[in-house]
Parts: sequence; structure tokens; C-alpha cells
Amino acid sequence: MSAFLSTVIKAGKPRVSQLNKNIRNLFNNGWLEIALRWILGVTFIYASYYKIMSPMDFAKIIYGYNLFPAFLINLIAVIFPFIELISGLSLLLGIFPRSAALIINGLLLAFILILTINIIRGHEFDCGCFSASKTGSPVMMVARDVIYLMMGLQVFLFHGIRKGCLLRSDKRI
Amino acid sequence: MQWNKVIKEMFFLLGISIISALAVNFFSPSGIALVGKWDESLGGKATKTKGYVFSGELEIKDVRIAKQIYDSGKAVFVDARSHEDFERGHIKGAESLPLGQFDDLIGAFRKKYPTDTFIVTYCSGRTCNDSHRLEQLLFDHGYVNVSIFIDGYQGWKAEGFPIE
Repeated sequence: MSAFLSTVIKAGKPRVSQLNKNIRNLFNNGWLEIALRWILGVTFIYASYYKIMSPMDFAKIIYGYNLFPAFLINLIAVIFPFIELISGLSLLLGIFPRSAALIINGLLLAFILILTINIIRGHEFDCGCFSASKTGSPVMMVARDVIYLMMGLQVFLFHGIRKGCLLRSDKRI
Repeated sequence: MQWNKVIKEMFFLLGISIISALAVNFFSPSGIALVGKWDESLGGKATKTKGYVFSGELEIKDVRIAKQIYDSGKAVFVDARSHEDFERGHIKGAESLPLGQFDDLIGAFRKKYPTDTFIVTYCSGRTCNDSHRLEQLLFDHGYVNVSIFIDGYQGWKAEGFPIE
């Protein structure tokens, strides 16, 4: 039995490593990196627009999450959208891309966490992600954020030479 | 991966974000206070009403309802806009209590109107939040019977209701 298994495994190894290599090549594709970077950048810039225009509405939404102490809510409502905007811009223009990707991934993790907590609690709430209008189910939003997070990870972990970057301290960064 | 550089750049980006956020908020007409007053007892309804926080229950969303209240004569309409706007035209019989001069004027207002007066605040229209802020301030000063007419002066005037 074990002999059979080890033969199968030995035969499969080159296939698996070929698959790994293909995935790795795709992962480190420069065009993919810039495409994902642009998608994330534009998404976050767009998402920040409404929140910057009407911080009071956004503050009310944060209040609705029932997750933060009262004195922090306004500070979050003021500062958070700008973190989105600046990181989104940095991704788009290629300014410190890895650091911007790190911030974006952090934000996405925070969203996923907040949404999950509220799903578990069974809260009805207004996501406030893109605008004040009612959004779809929270589960859909978590799924969407997970996809964004995967894109963000690619941008963050990318090993090659990034294309179209405006400002960075090192060509390899 | 040079973590040091990445961390430093990250803090740089965050710093820029915080500074520009505070600056824009300070200069923007729709800027908000850095620490807000959130009333727990009213806010508890927020999660059930899906979105609107404390003022959800207090908003008069229909002009005609506001008119009915006006006709009943039971409410005092309070204008949150500036004196100039008030002079140019306001709901007939309304009081002027500009948000910017609230602290100066609240004393006199308090003497004139007892705290159980039924008050309806308004400003220019739905995009203006001053009426909400005024309601909050009045509530803080003991006025428990305050509603917000969100269509404001524009909405009132458009219906051809009494102005002066």
C-alpha cells in the first residue's frame, strides 16, 4: 500500500512542481500586478469620495455598527476616508506601492472583521462602504472584501520589478 | 523584503492621510467635530431602524405634515440658518436661532420658551445638517420636544406655504 502511494506521489511530483511554477509565474506577472494595483487603487479612491463629502453621515453609520466607543467615532469618520484616499492614490500612481498595499490590506482585514462580527451578532446595518444607499447582504460584502484582500496580497507580495511606479525608495520594493 | 523601509513608508502615508484629513475637515463646510456627542438612549434604535441614528425618529420627512403642525399652532419653528438668510425669507412666525450664535442666543431663547415647548427646527433643505445640530444642542439644553423639518426653507417655500 505504502509502496503504491509513494510511486503515485513520485510520479505526481514533477506535475505538482510544474503547477507550482505556473502559479508562481502568474503570481509574479508584472502586468497582473499593475492591473490589480489599479483596480484596488480606483476602488478605494471611489469608496472614499462619499465619506469625505459627508462625514456626518459616515459617522452615523459607524455609530450604527455599535463597535467603537463614542469618543472615537468622529475621529474615525474624519481620518479613515483619507487613509482610503491616500492609499488608493498611492497604489494608482505607484507611490510606495508595497506600503500602500500593506495599508489597504489592513483596511480590508478590518472590514472583514467588522462585517463578520456584525453578521454573528445578527445586526441589521448599513454598510456605508460606497454610499449611503442600502447595500446587499453582509455575507456578499465579506466575500467581496476577501477577493479584494487576495488582490492586495498579490500586490504586497509581488517579487518582480513593478511597472508604472512614480515614487519608491528601491526598485525592488 | 526590507521591512524597515516598508514600515517607514507606511507611517509616512498614514501621516499624510491624518494631516490632510484634519485639514480638510477643519476647512470644509461639512466638517464635523472631532469628538461628537452620541446619545446612547436615542442611538439604541439605530441598529433596528437600519441606518439613521438618533434623529431618525425625530425627522419630519413630509412637508405636508410640517404644514399640519404649523396650522395647529402648537409648535415653534426655529430657523438654524444665519441672520442674513433669515432676513431674506423664513417660515412665517419662525424664530431665528443661527447655529453659529447658539451660545449667545440660547439664554434669551430659554427665557422665552419653556423646555417642554414643541419645537421644529429647520435650515435650508435636505442637504443641510444644521437643523440636526440645532436639535442636538436644544436637546442638550433641556428641550425634549424637538423635531426636525428636513425639507427646510426650500421645501416650505416650494409648496407656497406662508413665509415672510
